[in-house]
Amino acid sequence: MKRPDPAVLLLTPALLLTGVVFLAPFGLLVATGFWSQPKGSLIVERSFTLDNYVRIAADLYYWRGLGRTLGLSAATTILCLLIGFPVAQWLVRRARRTRALVTALILVPLVCGALLPTLGLVNILGTLGVLNGTLKALGLIDRSIPFLGNDSGILIGLVQSFLPLMILPLATVLDRLPVSLEEAAMSLGATRPKVWRRVILPLAAPGMLAGALLVFCAALTSFVTPQILGQGKVATFATIAYQQAALVLDWPFASALAVVMLALIGAAGLLVALGRRALLAAERAP
Amino acid sequence: MIAGQSRGRGLLWDAFTVLVILAVLSPIAVLIFSAFNDGRAFRFPPQAYSLRWFEAAFASAEYRSSLASSTLIGMIAAALSVVIGTMAALPLARGAVRRRRAIELLLLAPLTLPLIVWSIALLQIYAFLGINGSLGGLVLAHATITLPYTVRIMIAAFAGIDPHLDAAARSLGAPPFTAFRRVTLPIVLPGLLTSAAFSFLVSFNDVIVSTFIAGSRWITFPVRLYSQLRSQGVDPITLAIGAMIVGAILLAVLVGELISKRWKRTRA
Repeated sequence: MKRPDPAVLLLTPALLLTGVVFLAPFGLLVATGFWSQPKGSLIVERSFTLDNYVRIAADLYYWRGLGRTLGLSAATTILCLLIGFPVAQWLVRRARRTRALVTALILVPLVCGALLPTLGLVNILGTLGVLNGTLKALGLIDRSIPFLGNDSGILIGLVQSFLPLMILPLATVLDRLPVSLEEAAMSLGATRPKVWRRVILPLAAPGMLAGALLVFCAALTSFVTPQILGQGKVATFATIAYQQAALVLDWPFASALAVVMLALIGAAGLLVALGRRALLAAERAP
Repeated sequence: MIAGQSRGRGLLWDAFTVLVILAVLSPIAVLIFSAFNDGRAFRFPPQAYSLRWFEAAFASAEYRSSLASSTLIGMIAAALSVVIGTMAALPLARGAVRRRRAIELLLLAPLTLPLIVWSIALLQIYAFLGINGSLGGLVLAHATITLPYTVRIMIAAFAGIDPHLDAAARSLGAPPFTAFRRVTLPIVLPGLLTSAAFSFLVSFNDVIVSTFIAGSRWITFPVRLYSQLRSQGVDPITLAIGAMIVGAILLAVLVGELISKRWKRTRA
């Protein structure tokens, strides 16, 4: 008998955990999405039906949830890009010590998980919270602005939590782009906007795409932030799926909603891959 | 003129960056600050400060038991993840594997695919197996989502080792496992500790997966906190506990950083 390869033996537990416990359930999800559960019952009927998808497609409620989710995720991505770019650019021009310190500071909320920062945000955004209190003390407003329970609070929360996911990949890419390049272009007579358009933007585009994909997918599937900061009044696709899975207990329907989310993420990934290919093609062209 | 203009731009840029960093840190800062607010409901500026929510936190059996659950689950999941991840990282780092890229990509799947989608699937499988909310079920799920971190950290740790070292030990007569234990292991100890700490943190903080597969017996602190927030809003006791958790995490990171610095210095 041949002795098994030690490398294979060492890899087996990890491959089992990832393959069977993690990946296989995604396959099951696709199957259960085609099953059904009669209203009011908890017994799943294991026969093929498109009912769940028809139900999603036919109800305006889900379309609105979808639209709101995509809108919030897109807005989060754009805001993270606009805020993250100057910060990343600032970061790569500093000495190593400053950079390490600022990077560590940016990572602090990520290390604290999803819930604890959200708990702090509730106290910032509430009617008697820090933001409204400060604005009132400055005499800018008389009555509190409601941030909780609507899109604005959720957007603030999403940008807040996912900004590091944009800054870090951007900083990695910008780091490979020497400042001297910019100076050279300027000294050759290029104006600042032109340097931006012709030098920085094309070279930073891969990092922007990578960060945008990370932030967009994170925002799309986030359910703690919309649930807590929306105070249950704002339905996004992920909170709807959570409700169906954990509260209504209609698992086939929740599966179908999850499959739709997965498809959206796949589409976003495909879009980014196409964008990357177009960039490469543009680079090769003279 | 131009120099003045660019200095103004630089100052503006500095100010913007500082503002963004403050904004990113503000939720954590406010979480800690508001734990010292005396009133039941937080208002800014607070009318009085006190430590009573910290006292209440230590007295609350309900929160204490959920913190204990989180700690236990985190420790078992981290141990599992470190053992399995280290085993997998060893051949991957030495490059002794066919289809290495594909295997690495597969092992990183829990980082790239959305956990909420996975949780909806896992919930159904766990219900079918009858292990929803059980200790084993939670540990298995947590070990799975922490595995990619361990594998990544350990591949980096092993990659820094001269493979001849292990070969030398063996040629001097050490059996493979002894060579690993006496030569390789001490060198990758910082990596092991880092991946254990990271795994524990990911497990301890997890709310997505745990809320879906939660039962009534093993309730982790994030699950308790989430359901509390969703149904009744902010409980000031959770602010005090949150502040202490954040303090503990930051302290652990700081201590780890100091230890690893000293480690590097003594080895250099």
